[in-house]
Amino acid sequence: MKLTITYLYHDLMNIYGDTGNVIALSKRASWRGIDIEVKNISVGQKLTKGLSDIFFFGGGQDEQQVKVSEDLVSTKKGEIIKEEVEKGVPLLAICGGYQLLGEYYQPIQGKNLQGVSLFPAFTIASNRRMIGNILINASSKLMLEKNNCLVGFENHSGKTYLKNKDQALGYVKFGFGNNGEDQTEGCIIKNAIGCYMHGSLLPKNPDLTDWFIKKALSYKYQREITLKKLDNTLEEQAQRQLIKRFEK
Amino acid sequence: MLKLIIAIFVGKIILFFTKTLKFGGGSTAPGFYALKIDPCSIEELSEFLPLSIIITGTNGKTTTSKLISYFCEQSGLRVIRNRSGSNLERGVLSALIEQIPFNNFLNPSSIRKSFDLCIWEIDEAAFYQISPKINSLAILFLNIFRDQLDRYGEINSIISKWNQTLTKISQKSKIVINSDDTNLLQILKNIQTQPVSFSITGEKIKGESRIKGKKYKSQATATNIQLLSLDQTKFDLIIGLKTLHITSPLPGLYNIYNLTAALTLADILNLDLTKVNIWLESFSPAFGRVEKFTWKDKKFYLLLIKNPAGATEVLKLIKSYITPHDQLMIALNDKFADGQDVSWIWDADFEKLNDLKLKYKFVLSGIRAYDLAVRLKYSGIEENHLIVEPDLIDAFNALIKSDSERVFILPTYTALLSIQKILTQKKIKNYYWQN
Repeated sequence: MKLTITYLYHDLMNIYGDTGNVIALSKRASWRGIDIEVKNISVGQKLTKGLSDIFFFGGGQDEQQVKVSEDLVSTKKGEIIKEEVEKGVPLLAICGGYQLLGEYYQPIQGKNLQGVSLFPAFTIASNRRMIGNILINASSKLMLEKNNCLVGFENHSGKTYLKNKDQALGYVKFGFGNNGEDQTEGCIIKNAIGCYMHGSLLPKNPDLTDWFIKKALSYKYQREITLKKLDNTLEEQAQRQLIKRFEK
Repeated sequence: MLKLIIAIFVGKIILFFTKTLKFGGGSTAPGFYALKIDPCSIEELSEFLPLSIIITGTNGKTTTSKLISYFCEQSGLRVIRNRSGSNLERGVLSALIEQIPFNNFLNPSSIRKSFDLCIWEIDEAAFYQISPKINSLAILFLNIFRDQLDRYGEINSIISKWNQTLTKISQKSKIVINSDDTNLLQILKNIQTQPVSFSITGEKIKGESRIKGKKYKSQATATNIQLLSLDQTKFDLIIGLKTLHITSPLPGLYNIYNLTAALTLADILNLDLTKVNIWLESFSPAFGRVEKFTWKDKKFYLLLIKNPAGATEVLKLIKSYITPHDQLMIALNDKFADGQDVSWIWDADFEKLNDLKLKYKFVLSGIRAYDLAVRLKYSGIEENHLIVEPDLIDAFNALIKSDSERVFILPTYTALLSIQKILTQKKIKNYYWQN
């Protein structure tokens, strides 16, 4: 079996170590004998329908985010990503990527950045930076195997509001989440997840990584897939170490 | 004035107690409390101080300021400087409190008779706060890389702050920059005077953004670089009309940048550059910057890591010189001074370590030791080749017990401080604040 990961704007949207997510997906697939190809697609390059089995979209600096937002609209990449996700292709978007895939981003000054409307959510810039470790209880929709805790690190000033709170990725136990107000964090639509969790997210949350791999394989090969179990001792210890700190 | 003298007096007392009771190096507390008494201490003192050199940037500040200070001292100049990374306002004031005798403060106009130059390494985010308060002869911008985003924010926001600050600085200050760093060139828009720039040819630091095509012409260029060993690097420096053949004890490409920057400053100060190899022979590196020590036949190398660009350069360096009989320990903390977000380890090129074939296991330590273990596992290192020991003392003892010939220790900032403490307790090193 083989999976192609499309890494969107890898050169502009990776300042928070989000590459770790692509590393985690690649490694956990290859440990199971699944071939992985990572395709980098950035400004000016063409995105072709049907060639991506997983999309990844990270966070960037404000200036780069403007450039990327224009490219998503002008080259119709945004439209293609949305269509593919609606068909069932999994996607993970963190921070800036999550914001740009929402309906719009309203900066403190200047014009709104038009989003892709993949996630039914919008983001409003604020003057308050929400920084720190974050722990959430993931939505039962995910049906994660071991536990439903996800840990990461957030660093954003944009406040994201979901149109429908039932579409949240999870509920914040510690930290700020989407907006620091309504306890929601992230958004899940079909097999697409957007959220504010750096860390990197997937290496410390191996069940979620496997969720993506399973969804991608099931969609690509159109059948139920069971993944071989891997030894997650270290990953779980890294996660537990953070959870313990919150409990103090 | 009275307020200032009281502030300095209190600072002196605090310094005395921290040193006598060995609380620490006294490199921040005296200034911290003096600023509480007189928040304008630095502005008030500045008119009595000799001219300053300011050094800022993401990586290399401490080593570069140590180099230029050493060159000045070797040339007979009397220098005031802040030490060991105490590069916020309180660190600057602590250095003044420590190094200037109290009777000088009672008659501040005598300070200039006792000292020739101040050399300040300034945190890139504190630059806007401190530099307008100081009369500077030159301001050196080393580089700008992504660093702890929870503390510093994005690169663009640091550059725009630097730009705003530069408009408030006297045009008499010479701006010295690394012209290999394209991001840095953005600050040239805001200065009226001709900058002095330096660069190196033939090699590149990972993560540095360079202009494609035509290069910015620089006044000092390092070339013919030979990275020979952990103890020796050779290169030629073309500076003005001179060509210097340099032999340096500092390993790694990043130290060639630091040395080139320091020599560019030395040239501005009209020091006799033909003496550079003599100076370098007796130079010892800064606190935790490829610091070397020996204990019971085992050689230790201490190399600070703090951000992806710096860590990748350190990993590159280790990869060139490590042998299968050596051992590696990495320690990751997530306190404020380390950066609370450990995501950056995923941007550092730990994959460099996956084909080293070391006989001894990797020792991973610090508050976030398990995050490191996961990082190394996903870089392709076998899990059974990792020892996770979050407690630094236990980790250090594991190193001492093993038969490895040499040990490389890569700690983040607060882990480095703890390791220095352990070294002092074990009497491997003298007082830990000493450079």
